[in-house]
Amino acid sequence: MLKWYEQIVPDSDVVISSRIRLARNLEDKPFAAKLDDKQAREMVEEVKSIVPLLSERDNRKYYACNVSTLSEIDKTAMVERHIVSPLLAEKKQETGLILSDDETVSIMINEEDHLRIQAIVGGMNLEKAYEEADRIDDIAYEKLRFAFDEQYGYLTSCPTNMGTGMRASCMVFLPALSSARLIQKLIEEVGKYGVTIRGIYGEGTKSLGSIYQISNQKTLGISETEIIENLKNIVAQVVKQERKRREYMLSVNSDEIEDQVYRAYGILKYARQITSENAMTLLSQLKFGADCDIISFDREFNIHKLMMGVQPGSLQWNLGKNVGSLSRDQSRAEYIRRELPTIK
Amino acid sequence: MLCDKCLKKEATVLYTEIINGMKKEQHLCEECATDYTSFQLGNTLINSELSLNHLLSTLLEAYNTGNTVETGRKPAVVCSQCGTSFREFMQNGKFGCAQCYRSFHNELSKTLKGIQGAVNHTGKRPKGYISTTDRILKDMTETERLGLKLQEAIEKEEFEEAARLRDIIRQMKKEETNNA
Ligand SMILES: [Zn+2]
Ligand SMILES: [Zn+2]
Repeated sequence: MLKWYEQIVPDSDVVISSRIRLARNLEDKPFAAKLDDKQAREMVEEVKSIVPLLSERDNRKYYACNVSTLSEIDKTAMVERHIVSPLLAEKKQETGLILSDDETVSIMINEEDHLRIQAIVGGMNLEKAYEEADRIDDIAYEKLRFAFDEQYGYLTSCPTNMGTGMRASCMVFLPALSSARLIQKLIEEVGKYGVTIRGIYGEGTKSLGSIYQISNQKTLGISETEIIENLKNIVAQVVKQERKRREYMLSVNSDEIEDQVYRAYGILKYARQITSENAMTLLSQLKFGADCDIISFDREFNIHKLMMGVQPGSLQWNLGKNVGSLSRDQSRAEYIRRELPTIK
Repeated sequence: MLCDKCLKKEATVLYTEIINGMKKEQHLCEECATDYTSFQLGNTLINSELSLNHLLSTLLEAYNTGNTVETGRKPAVVCSQCGTSFREFMQNGKFGCAQCYRSFHNELSKTLKGIQGAVNHTGKRPKGYISTTDRILKDMTETERLGLKLQEAIEKEEFEEAARLRDIIRQMKKEETNNA
């Protein structure tokens, strides 16, 4: 089965993926802040026990593990592929992970909430992601008693998640808006509608590779469908603005942009060592060129998959070993050379 | 029977509220009952019916019954289940358990309005979930349920609907007495 980042999807020139995350807690166990080590171990086992039921009901195979048994490389690679959060990977207490074979569905156990059910699909498709997460939530509820209150909805550790417990987000590629320094303005604009934007790789608004995440802020007093509708409208606006900006850039600067795209390809294809920051910048330029039909390849390939692959953890995970930073830069260059298709 | 609120006048109204799944009944005098609602009981349309067996459903915030003894200082609010205090919650922003939401209920609404801009969930419910409100409504007699509807109609000032419900209730009451 193809993983979400291996599929060819609509609107992927701007929207890389859509994700839904549901926060759930067991009603008879203290929340994360008051959970002791023994209760944490029991809770992880209890939640892991739903795996056979999930595999039976859903058309995929599910796997479960205790995160503490994973190597540091595995953990970092999973964080880079957005399967687990940095918080889960770093937590001292026992934590667990349930993952579907296509990496579409994952359940983090004992993160900030007992369960964080997550579904991620390629392109602009929040409805599909919600459908997946909602179904998994229903199946899990057959075996687990979730804390739910008539007035407050699903009860979560933090009041910023209570109610629906739902965070909907779209991962977007905004090279034109960010090179025009319009991201800050965008953040302020969408903030009025209860929506946030933040960089994915790197810190704050200075995002590596121009990849950002757009999410809803409020979870109470608004239904799941309303959250999705609202976010969809905002993302559609962002997509429109980004495309307009790209058009404008091409109309005034097409020779420079074409040169930049082919230079990026040249370096990526022939470099003998490359840092992840540099690779991200060049891959971002290459993706931009491919999205705008400035450059085309002899076969379909997903640049975002390569972007995840060049991150330190994923790279070492692909290599199957821990390597120092110099040979890492060499391995990265080699990996990119191997993955990059030929120009048509 | 004396009024539960002022403990002075004769109670003529049975005041029922369902707040967050908790059923609460009070016997009130007309004056105290008026305090809880926006309308005057002296309204000609519904006058006699109201004092007979009066059911109110309101969405009022929790209120003081007025007959509690004043205790000088307010005690610290602590969750009985996990020991988290409201202070602690305000400091680190994390609930300690599901029960905390109920334990901090009275303190919470201001905080939630600030964070979420709302205080009531309107989204998904677990599959097959039956709310306590649903359960209480299910346990009520048909007359009681209609009484709740009647009250809603009065509060929305839909007096035609109220009159219609009043007649139905009156008819049902008559039949009940005849059957008894
Ligand atoms: Zn009174
Ligand atoms: Zn508690």
